[in-house]
Amino acid sequence: MSVLEVNALRKSFGEVEVLKNIDFTLEKGEVIAIIGSSGSGKTTLLRCLNFLEKPNGGTISVNGNVIFDGNAPETQSEAEIRLKRLHFGLVFQSFNLFPQYTALQNVKLARELLAQERSDWKQNRKAILAEIDAEARHLLDQMGLAAKADFYPHQLSGGQQQRVAIARALALSPDILCFDEPTSALDPELTGEVLRVIKGLADKDTTMIIVTHEMQFAREVADKVLFMDGGHIVESGPPEEVFGNPKHERTKHFLERYSGT
Amino acid sequence: MLATVLGALSSGFLQTLKLFAITLIGSLPLGLIISFGSMSRWAPFARLGNRLEAAGGESKFTHFCEWFKPISLLVKVIVWIVRGTPLMLQLIIIFYIPGQLLPGGSPWPAGDNGRFIAAAVAFIFNYACYFSEIYRGGIQGVPVGQQEAGQVLGMTKRQIFFKVTLLQMIKRIVPPMSNEIITLVKDTSIARIISFQEIIWAGYSFLKGSHGYSGLIWPLFFTGVYYLVFNGLLTLLFGWVERRLSYFR
Repeated sequence: MSVLEVNALRKSFGEVEVLKNIDFTLEKGEVIAIIGSSGSGKTTLLRCLNFLEKPNGGTISVNGNVIFDGNAPETQSEAEIRLKRLHFGLVFQSFNLFPQYTALQNVKLARELLAQERSDWKQNRKAILAEIDAEARHLLDQMGLAAKADFYPHQLSGGQQQRVAIARALALSPDILCFDEPTSALDPELTGEVLRVIKGLADKDTTMIIVTHEMQFAREVADKVLFMDGGHIVESGPPEEVFGNPKHERTKHFLERYSGT
Repeated sequence: MLATVLGALSSGFLQTLKLFAITLIGSLPLGLIISFGSMSRWAPFARLGNRLEAAGGESKFTHFCEWFKPISLLVKVIVWIVRGTPLMLQLIIIFYIPGQLLPGGSPWPAGDNGRFIAAAVAFIFNYACYFSEIYRGGIQGVPVGQQEAGQVLGMTKRQIFFKVTLLQMIKRIVPPMSNEIITLVKDTSIARIISFQEIIWAGYSFLKGSHGYSGLIWPLFFTGVYYLVFNGLLTLLFGWVERRLSYFR
């Protein structure tokens, strides 16, 4: 059974149809890279998966359970959506760290708030908080940021901020971790450190969807590449095929433009 | 003479401070409620409009359905009226009009107490409307990404407001708020129009004749010292708050 199954997903903004019948599946431990030019619908797709946008039709299933059904879109309450969101983590292009919290607090905040809903919160408060703290520090350590735990976001470089954001998303142990152009807002010399961290996650079989403009990176890290254009998935397959032997004109055209630079 | 004047001015300034404090206590929270009202997106006909649009395309009526947000609209009209007319006029209306209209006469207690309550009502409402616009700017100035990051992390709307947005908003509104609050200290002198005995009233009384003196102009000028010292203290306080919030950007 696939971790994620997306069927006939559609999304329009007013008259403009941004996603047209998107179908794909994602297996556990698999990494999908989504490539395509700006405006092709890549970001909107990620935002639909994370319930930041409401699709106009289609279904999204996680571990075999339908979590969004375009035929019954009105039935989702705020609280339901909140729980369904937790299947996904999202790393934003612009990091969106909370500026008033340190790196460590950024990683811990959401988990601490969720822990307050546990039935044993009152009795085990101290133990729960200690566990969250230890895990958050461990995550920062994994990101190579152990020494930066008590720094505020504005004291960190862009690459460091993005790695904190990755740790923050991982803290909730999502089934699927999504990246929305994670290096697009970074100076070229800082992209490497972020890509290395993502590569490290892929090596540990983290299930991920990565929207990216870094073709070389997509080729190295992805098990499957989706090329999107005009709201469609034009071509999908293993990276060797999509990059090495693209079948569609549009894919060829797109890749030529990128290899040219 | 000096002791008499300082005594009278000081008790006048105490009234000034009383009105200042009650206005802040009332208008700071009321302003937040008004700002939520003006940002309300409740549109009772939006669904009807969507359905009509799906069935028969856009029309003037479907546009109206989307535009018609009664709470936001009502609040915006109220804020427009309150900000668009002089506080002095509002004070006069609030103090005198209920007595003319209500069958039981004026609802305000007789004497100084009534003047204070009427002044407090007018000031609280007036300043709440100004504050609401500052709050709105502060809330809307926090990047959407902050809210989205909270949502994606499974936080509730409430948690996002209190744990993420609020402090960033406070940091943004401190400078415009301090401006408005310092203006309020001086605006309390407007309450003199309904004979509220604040410090300007006390200073002026030595010109008109009271405490056995008349024709004295300097006590009136001397009231400026009180305002200056108090606003100096407030400026220091706001500077301290800004420094306290400078640990993040």
